[in-house]
Amino acid sequence: MNTTLIGRRRFLGAGLAAASLPLIAGPAFAQATNNIRMIWWGGDERARRTNAAIDLFKAANSGIAIDAEFMGWDDYWARLATQVAGGNAPDFIQMDYRYMFEYARRGAIRPLDEFLGKELNIADFGQVNLDSCSVDGKLYGGNVGVNAFSVVFDGMAWEEAGVEPPAFGTTWDEFTAKCDAFTAANKRPRVNATADGSCQEGLFEVWLRTQGKALYNPDGTLGYDAADAGRWFAYWTEMRKSKACVSADVQALYKNSPETSPIVGGRSATDFAHSNQFESYQKLIAADLSVVGAPVLEGGKPGQYLKPSQMFSISSSSKNPAQTAQLINFLIREPAGAKLLGLDRGVPASAEIREALMPDLTDTSRKVVELISNLTPHIGPLPPSPPKGAGEINAVQIRISQEVGFEAVSPEQGGANMVDEANAILKRG
Amino acid sequence: MAAYDTMSKPDTRKQGAAGGWLAGAIRRNGAGYLFLAPWLIGFFCLTLGPALASLYLSFTNFDLLSAPEFIGAQNYVRMVTADPRFIASIRVTLVYVALSVPLKLAFALAVAMVLNRGMRGLPFYRAIFYLPSLLGTSVAIAVLWRQLFAADGLVNSLLAQIGIEGPSWISNPNYSLYTLVVLSVWQFGSPMIIFLAGLRQIPTDMYEAASLDGASPTRQFLRITLPLLSPVIFFNFVIQTIEAFKAFTPAFVISGGSGGPINSTLFYTLYLYQEAFSYFRMGYASALAWVLVVIIAIFTAFSFLTTKYWVHYDD
Repeated sequence: MNTTLIGRRRFLGAGLAAASLPLIAGPAFAQATNNIRMIWWGGDERARRTNAAIDLFKAANSGIAIDAEFMGWDDYWARLATQVAGGNAPDFIQMDYRYMFEYARRGAIRPLDEFLGKELNIADFGQVNLDSCSVDGKLYGGNVGVNAFSVVFDGMAWEEAGVEPPAFGTTWDEFTAKCDAFTAANKRPRVNATADGSCQEGLFEVWLRTQGKALYNPDGTLGYDAADAGRWFAYWTEMRKSKACVSADVQALYKNSPETSPIVGGRSATDFAHSNQFESYQKLIAADLSVVGAPVLEGGKPGQYLKPSQMFSISSSSKNPAQTAQLINFLIREPAGAKLLGLDRGVPASAEIREALMPDLTDTSRKVVELISNLTPHIGPLPPSPPKGAGEINAVQIRISQEVGFEAVSPEQGGANMVDEANAILKRG
Repeated sequence: MAAYDTMSKPDTRKQGAAGGWLAGAIRRNGAGYLFLAPWLIGFFCLTLGPALASLYLSFTNFDLLSAPEFIGAQNYVRMVTADPRFIASIRVTLVYVALSVPLKLAFALAVAMVLNRGMRGLPFYRAIFYLPSLLGTSVAIAVLWRQLFAADGLVNSLLAQIGIEGPSWISNPNYSLYTLVVLSVWQFGSPMIIFLAGLRQIPTDMYEAASLDGASPTRQFLRITLPLLSPVIFFNFVIQTIEAFKAFTPAFVISGGSGGPINSTLFYTLYLYQEAFSYFRMGYASALAWVLVVIIAIFTAFSFLTTKYWVHYDD
């Protein structure tokens, strides 16, 4: 009689190795092609705009074929690095300020100076906007647009509470007072005055800069100490205790995307975002949103700066750099292409392009242009290039903000831990 | 592939002992190897090759963008001496394995025993219960789970009906891991199908004889069902344990790739993924992958060693 379904030998034959080996098998690489391959990150709205602009470019340049792929921010950097490592880099690369230095210094993207004045006519971007896309004196990307860190709020919710919403030049103390007044008068259950900003690197950076500090020094070391970080977490702990900001488990749902933010989830009347994300926020909720600068420090230094929201770069292995430069120019400097992209990647650096865009702008887009115009007189210099490991330190800030939020550690301890971990990451490189 | 090349050539040179054996094996089984070739090529080129490459990379500081530099065992040393997140991920993974595997197996066995009683529409129920397993590793299910257990999700709406205000299960570090355990238990279909097949093979006359002797259903379960089913239980146990160690998708989707809140869902594989693809430490991630292989191998070997105490083979 054989009652067993699976005998000893058959089981071993089933191949436990086969069950566990796929773990350590690396990625496979795609085939290279001869046309312009393009890669960028973004969502559906951006895809719609970008594809329309690509189609127009192809119609005007019949000899050039374009093969574009896009994905979300998180997957993007893994995909790009894998393709570069596999010797299969796309010609056209959407680049971020944080990664530009690494890619440029490792020779993965090429200098664009030779195309200036020829394929690339971007002299009117101004020195500031060329410098912000340069590494060691060479230009590595075409500035697609500038953005700034901002405060986004639902004006109707503030009006219902009978409190003046945050505005340009609102100080941190005033911001606290406004939120407390909102909380006292609040009629909407489950809605707090503001999101919890302690996890927001951009907001932390503005806060540090108003005090004459920075996230990173020019030599790549940390620009703040444990006491600074401790005070930052303590500020938000007070906000959490007074119910001015959302609770820790609501904020923990936020995953760096508009869809997961407390304001879009209907849990807060105020939130924090990069200005080029404002339209995405507005598209996701019915309430009419407004956008202003981040809170300031009375008598403090200018905390905000205009950041190149992204740049278009060319891979150093590209076989068609001139045509790719032509495509970049079409997207950022020719009205036909730039109009199709709109403000989705930031406010264009060229005054002429901004003029050309103005008549077509929606009210939402206009608010973003106004924000940038209002902030421009009050901005500080572009911070030094972030060191290697900056992305990981951002993740550390998010995690420690949660540890403090869920009261696993005190704000002071959280500040000390954050500086310790950040220094360890910087040391490791 | 090498085997295939030799096969097509006429055998002219004098063979050494090993070569003669190989040539003989190919002559006898040539057609078999030919049919196996697609799998063999896939296995050697796409699985074994990259796996061995990752073994080499685990001794380097490879970062995807620059050439790997050999750094000895530094990656492995760092893991055990200076990496709190590694320790955290091990802890999370062990808790997950320890909870999800027994619960899932118990649940699968319970359902299989109900279905084994013979009921109308059995194929229908079997298919329905199996469905979650088919969808198991899909992103859509993880997204669904996120919706169910969010602060405003279905679970809390139901709790609200009976006057309980539930927390946001997935974004609270006290509960987030357990929602993933529940998700895993819900996907009990594939062990259930195997249990069902195993139960079918237990001769009914044994139960009849036991009933005549006055054995209670509990006693029958303990003395007949469990011992005769033990090889199947063992099979499911090992496979599910390996699967649980390798779990990735649910934590990745539900935590947005962060393993948060506060590392509470930082599965080992998720940590490995972060090191490899978020921070580009491909060398370190390769070392992590090999440590996981060793951990799984040790667990599996240990499971095999225990079989002589509780698994009954008849063959």
